[in-house]
Amino acid sequence: MTSRCSHFALPEQFSDKITAMGVQDQLQIAVRREADRVILALDGELDMASAGLLEHAMEGVDGETTVVLDLDQLQFIDSTGLRSVLSALEHCKERGQEFAVTRGSQQVQRLLGVTGVAKHLRIIDAADEVLA
Amino acid sequence: MTGQTLPTHDVAVELLVEAGAVLASSLDLATTMSQVARLTVPRLADLCVIDLRDDDGSIREVAVASYDPEIAAPLEAMRRQHPLDPAGGHPVARVIRTGEPELLAEMTSALMRSFAQGSRHAKFMIDHRYHSAVVAPLLSRGRTLGTLSVLRLGDGQPYELADLELACELARRAATAIDNARLFSELRRVEQRLEAVLVNVAEAITLTDDRGQMVFANQAAADLLGASTPAELMSSSPGTIMPRFLVLDEQGRELGLESMPGRRLFAGESPGPLLVRNIVRATGEERWLIVRSSPVTDPESGRILYAVNVFENITEVKRAQLAERFMAEASRVLASSMDYAETLQHLTRLAVPQIADWCAVDVLSESGEIERVAVHHSDPRRIELAERLDRGYRLGLDEPVGVPEVIRSGRARIYTNIEPDALAAYARDDGHLALLQAIGATAVIIVPLAAPARTLGAITLASAESMRRLTHADLALAERLGRRAGTAVESARLYTERTRIASMLEAALLPESLPEIPGAKLASLYRAAGELNDVGGDFYDVLAYGADRWLLVIGDVCGKGPRAAAVTALARHTLRTAAMLDLTPTQMLDTLHAALRHQPSGPDMCTVCLVTFERRSAGARLGVTLAGHPPPLIIDVDGGRTQVGTPGTLLGVLDPIEISEVDVELGADQTLLLYTDGLPEANRTGMQLGEQTLFEPGVQAPAPTLAGLLSQIEQAALRRASGRLRDDIALLALRLT
Repeated sequence: MTSRCSHFALPEQFSDKITAMGVQDQLQIAVRREADRVILALDGELDMASAGLLEHAMEGVDGETTVVLDLDQLQFIDSTGLRSVLSALEHCKERGQEFAVTRGSQQVQRLLGVTGVAKHLRIIDAADEVLA
Repeated sequence: MTGQTLPTHDVAVELLVEAGAVLASSLDLATTMSQVARLTVPRLADLCVIDLRDDDGSIREVAVASYDPEIAAPLEAMRRQHPLDPAGGHPVARVIRTGEPELLAEMTSALMRSFAQGSRHAKFMIDHRYHSAVVAPLLSRGRTLGTLSVLRLGDGQPYELADLELACELARRAATAIDNARLFSELRRVEQRLEAVLVNVAEAITLTDDRGQMVFANQAAADLLGASTPAELMSSSPGTIMPRFLVLDEQGRELGLESMPGRRLFAGESPGPLLVRNIVRATGEERWLIVRSSPVTDPESGRILYAVNVFENITEVKRAQLAERFMAEASRVLASSMDYAETLQHLTRLAVPQIADWCAVDVLSESGEIERVAVHHSDPRRIELAERLDRGYRLGLDEPVGVPEVIRSGRARIYTNIEPDALAAYARDDGHLALLQAIGATAVIIVPLAAPARTLGAITLASAESMRRLTHADLALAERLGRRAGTAVESARLYTERTRIASMLEAALLPESLPEIPGAKLASLYRAAGELNDVGGDFYDVLAYGADRWLLVIGDVCGKGPRAAAVTALARHTLRTAAMLDLTPTQMLDTLHAALRHQPSGPDMCTVCLVTFERRSAGARLGVTLAGHPPPLIIDVDGGRTQVGTPGTLLGVLDPIEISEVDVELGADQTLLLYTDGLPEANRTGMQLGEQTLFEPGVQAPAPTLAGLLSQIEQAALRRASGRLRDDIALLALRLT
């Protein structure tokens, strides 16, 4: 009885989609402004599900001369997440803003290194570090 | 005078025996009083008067008996008009106060005047020649209810002590009878008040005694228990009402009379409210009732006299609650499985016996045939009947009634009462009829398995041996179920279709087979994350690269879905073309970078690892070029691993890219492993390949075969990711032969 139509599979990941809707649980971005600097502190995981949050946050960044992504609390990043960081870099270049990131977790550092992206980023030790 | 007879022993016995019979015959106070009065005349007295004391102490109620109505009636009237003074000197008042009998052997005129209630009373007594009297107290339960006075008139023999004793004995018996009659009339008043309340309440209420006999029922109880009047219920013998119903608990277990709270009260328990599902056997009507019973106890003995049973009908509330619970369970079941036929089978199990005795699901196949995908009954032997029916008498879509009609019209149908004639008319032949009769459906609901845009099939619910009636409330619930299940099945179908298209696309992006390289073995493995629903961006390839050289390619395009698939195809074909043009690996990657950078739809991002392979006499020479891709590994026989290559910039988004080729030797015993990011990303700790994290303890490389090694790596990655990969994994391995 059960085998006849077993090639129809029920979408198991429907439940995951629901979880993905709660992206905020996965990534939180705190925006802090200090003088002419805006610091976006990323906490959690930046991946396919949450990359949109960073892009959205960057839309609100305009007037400041310096933009810092504080990656100290970023646990994980994948290629889509990396791409959103590169979009942020692009965004700043177009507006003539300084762009810097902090180091992030081991996994974040590894991906930035392996992809050669690290060489294109200004990596600083602390989000409030004075840029020369 | 006839009343002069001596109270001999025989007369006394006769009188008392007669008193016993007469006094037991009535519970009406007035009747009892006049019976007592009449008993004494003429055997013991010419005139007998009973006076009763009211609760307020007044002496109002009176009964008089005499051989001469000319005496009795006026005396009774006079007593009512001028009640005796309870505090006065009349012997009756005195006896009521003291509780002691009085013998007035000789009543003189002076004596009578001394206690008369006025001159008329004195004249009456003197005129009727009151001569001798005994006034005995009516004592019951320690209280004096009143007096029994016997009198002799005229010249007869005065009363003596023996008469006093007889009168007292008679008074004791009379007192008990009068007390009972009074209590009874009081009880009747209470009952009447209670009844006035009970007949008007909506809840069904019955009063049963210790034998189960119903002594009271209101109209609501008669309605609930299938009687036309409460009287009909009360005249039913104990135990004859319950068998009219199938009484089940919430779990569907049948309950006997002994489980009813009323019965349990008499068994000495303190039963709480009982929720029962009650099915009227005659009609199949289903009700949900809460039965509460409380005892009526005898205040003196503490014995339970009656059980008051209150039946609250909560059918509507319970139905709604069960419907919601059922739908919640159904939704959970429908979302629980990968296999929709299995899911529908679970669904039929949920429906039986909660809402029906039978549940079957039929779906319309793509070729227009009706296929039975699930059927359930709580008895497996009966399921066999349904399967025989399905095999022998398969439904055709053009049939005028039943499942085919519902599938065609998309409209639900309810057959509340299936007549034998209708079944015979429906049956195709005798064998069909016999099977249908064996299944024994008495009521059927068929609802469409309704997806948003079309009807996929039908769900059939049938009532059979339980005789449960199927109502329009059941129909509404079944229709909801049909829509919910239909949507789930449709989603599953669409999902499967997308998955199939995705995997076809995926396959088109990977080489069908790896080429033969002289002096080397190759193996590859591709593991999609999740459900293959989105096309991943991983790719690999092995290409001839000049005369005795080969090019191993592995890469990963950022993103998923159609665009990633298009970019993957672009990357793969750009590299193939570049390889044919004999470009160096660095030039190839520059070309790809430029192609990605100038995509009409905007730049795309991609990582690539290229390894050139050239067989040497004792080993091989490798040229490793990385563009944002994790470095390949060289794995030794003892499991030691070395990363090779210099990190280079990923392609498509950053300018300028920095990439360089690195020369590496591959030994005869060594294995080269190329992989995509899905592997290191399989866990989130950011571990580095090349360290011990690639292989878990117990998975020692190299495995005997290359395919075995790749499988071990895949399994280890799956374990680290707890079975759920974040990204696709592509592996390409090479070993010298």
